[in-house]
Amino acid sequence: MIAARTVWPALIPFAAAVAALGLILAGLTLVGYAPGEVLATAWRGLAGSPLRLGIWAQEATPLLLTGLAAGLAFRCGVLNVGTEGQYLMGAVTALAVLLALPPSVLSPWLAALAGAGAGALWCALAYGLDRWRGVPLVLSAILLNVVAARVLGALVEGPLHDPTTAAPQSALVPEAARLGALLPGTALTLAAPLAVALAVASWLVQRQTALGFEFTVIGLNPVAGDLAGIPVESRRRLAALGSGALAGLAGAFQVAGVTWFLSGDAQSYGYAGIAVALLGRLHPLGMIPAALFFAGLDISGRQWERRLGIPHDLGDVAKGAAVALVLAAGFFRGRR
Amino acid sequence: MNGPVPPPRIAVAGVSKSYAGIPALDGVDFQVPAGVVHGILGENGAGKSTLMKILYGLVRPESGYVRVDGVDLPGGSPAAAARAGIGMVHQHFALVDDLTVVDNCILGAGRGLGLVDRAAWAARIRQFAGRLQWTIDPQARIADLGVGQRQRVEIVKALLAGGGQTRVLILDEPTAVLTPQEVDELIPALEALAAGGTTVLFISHKLHEVERLCPTVTILRRGRVVYDGPRPERDAMTRLMVGEVPPVLGLHATASPGESRLEVRNLEGGGLHDLSFTVRAGEVVAVAGVDGNGQEPLIRAILRDARAVTTPGLAPEDRLGGIRRLGLIPDDRQHEALVLPLSLRDNLVLKEHRRFPFATSWGWLRLGRWRAHAVDLLTRYGVRGGGPDTPAQDLSGGNQQKVVIARELHRNPGLIIAVNPTRGLDLAASADVLRALAAARDAGAAVLLIHHDLEELLAVADRVLVLFGGRIREAPSRERSAIAGLMLGSPTP
Repeated sequence: MIAARTVWPALIPFAAAVAALGLILAGLTLVGYAPGEVLATAWRGLAGSPLRLGIWAQEATPLLLTGLAAGLAFRCGVLNVGTEGQYLMGAVTALAVLLALPPSVLSPWLAALAGAGAGALWCALAYGLDRWRGVPLVLSAILLNVVAARVLGALVEGPLHDPTTAAPQSALVPEAARLGALLPGTALTLAAPLAVALAVASWLVQRQTALGFEFTVIGLNPVAGDLAGIPVESRRRLAALGSGALAGLAGAFQVAGVTWFLSGDAQSYGYAGIAVALLGRLHPLGMIPAALFFAGLDISGRQWERRLGIPHDLGDVAKGAAVALVLAAGFFRGRR
Repeated sequence: MNGPVPPPRIAVAGVSKSYAGIPALDGVDFQVPAGVVHGILGENGAGKSTLMKILYGLVRPESGYVRVDGVDLPGGSPAAAARAGIGMVHQHFALVDDLTVVDNCILGAGRGLGLVDRAAWAARIRQFAGRLQWTIDPQARIADLGVGQRQRVEIVKALLAGGGQTRVLILDEPTAVLTPQEVDELIPALEALAAGGTTVLFISHKLHEVERLCPTVTILRRGRVVYDGPRPERDAMTRLMVGEVPPVLGLHATASPGESRLEVRNLEGGGLHDLSFTVRAGEVVAVAGVDGNGQEPLIRAILRDARAVTTPGLAPEDRLGGIRRLGLIPDDRQHEALVLPLSLRDNLVLKEHRRFPFATSWGWLRLGRWRAHAVDLLTRYGVRGGGPDTPAQDLSGGNQQKVVIARELHRNPGLIIAVNPTRGLDLAASADVLRALAAARDAGAAVLLIHHDLEELLAVADRVLVLFGGRIREAPSRERSAIAGLMLGSPTP
């Protein structure tokens, strides 16, 4: 019974990932690449040295956080597809804090708090539009993604602009205010272990607390939850705030530890988080391999382009294929 | 015998179908000639809906055949059934709310690509409705129509889908959602259809309607035909439908009721008018009535703690506290009571999941206790078909309801509210549910039973209230015909 109900569905994402990779390799083989070389290139790029491993983990960190953000909301039936906007608002708010406050060891952590708060507020805005103005959350959240990108653009060209350049980019966070690297040569910071800790914590909340049980019940059947005395509205609000905060935190850590500045260029960690959540079948621990898979394809795509001349978009094709396969494999069956 | 005898309009021979090894239909035979209204009767689970799905081509029988005017109906194809002239009106309407009557009818005809002449369709709709003495506005939006009108649209749609050549019209429990007046208007229309040569199969378990409409009947029990022929007397029909199992009767209490547990005083709104009643400890107060006469707003008012509703004897606190203290058996167990993908363990503890010993005061779950609790309740309430880890969706309807009852009644709540608690259950499972309610009452609970089935209701009710047109009246006696009269709005005798 255990084998049929719990182990098998958990294997679906892994099977989907392998199948998606197989698809890519088969395609590349058809057009004349040696599959062994493609794989070896990817492997060297990901795990060829401790430095490489560090970069892999660094790239997976924001994906894991935005994945946890999307997953938390989805499990509770709150379709927060606004993680991109919340990520951007978290990032720009953190940047403002880092530039405004006198640099200290505390700076990145204050920035993280501010970023999480901004993400939560941005999600609350979308949720409030749904709740009180009748705008479906999917719409309000997606549209606020666009608004957030504009707000960020205006800020990096306005109050946060780097006066020494004409390019639309912000000033650089002073070194003393940055989140320090754990591994020299990478931007692997404390954000990575913290993200894993948050994944474990999410899993414990989901599995072992009354709150997590209520989220699950509401996500699967809000009417039954309501008639069982669960305050559905307040739980959903909480899930929305928590989701926004996680997405904002991802943006804040990225600014404080990895990029140190922001430009008007598009980012997509927020959107990717939704895919990570789906690939991980909304299981917080499942999102760790899912985030590594996505980050791995990003890195490998770049390596393939540089060393083998394969367009890096191919990595995105594999991501899409994996998520589509997981969804096709009956995502809604046996979620718990 | 002079000349060739025409083949029967519809002939069903040796039709069998089973689900997961359990036979739903077992060698069903019957024939119906052209131009009659024929009743198909049976308890819930007798196989009526499976039979209808086979006639309409939704389900392919494992053996046997269906012939329309002597021609074999290919199984498993609704399109072929429609071509053969079979029309179907489902119990739950299949209309698109935002479209007009014309557009729904065009949709029902399934013309695929090509131009449609709405004016011609509208004219045909008026013409078909006129034959049945109905007026239907072809331009009306479905959302703006009442239930009775929607059903007329469904019937006209089914007739139009047959291109005016409908040979057999199947109506699945057509009166379940109608008011008595609407039923009165439906019946002559069906008779007019039959007079025009269409055979009407009228599926129902409402015997008084069958008596008004069907000269011949087929009675199913547990997937077999137990009777086929001229309509028998009421008592004989009941016996044939339910078999020799004695109906659950005489569960009403002898002791006198105690203190008041639920008081409704001058409740207004949502179509209710000045509703007042009291439910006391140790009594079952049943609310009888045809669906749609105020049941929904009444239930909502009670569950949402409308100001006119008080629950003395139960700590008022907030609504949530109130709901947790209620034993609530809602109308639709799959959507309102159970979380189908979750395990029985989770479903059985839901509502108490924050209470000791199922969680610490910090909200940390003690899942070992959940499991023991589930095992205990599953045994005590005789739930079959699964253990603590089985998802609720894998159980049969009767066992799902047992899970709901176990969860809601095991803590001996002071007040129980049950809404149509036997809906969709077979006779044995229904009897179990009614006994459980009676036992809870005997243990001192106040029970409010809002139920559509008068027979079952009378079996457990200590007092009967009748809801009609949003007003409530106490039935002067337990006499069935008097209560049925009140349900249909007759003035107090």
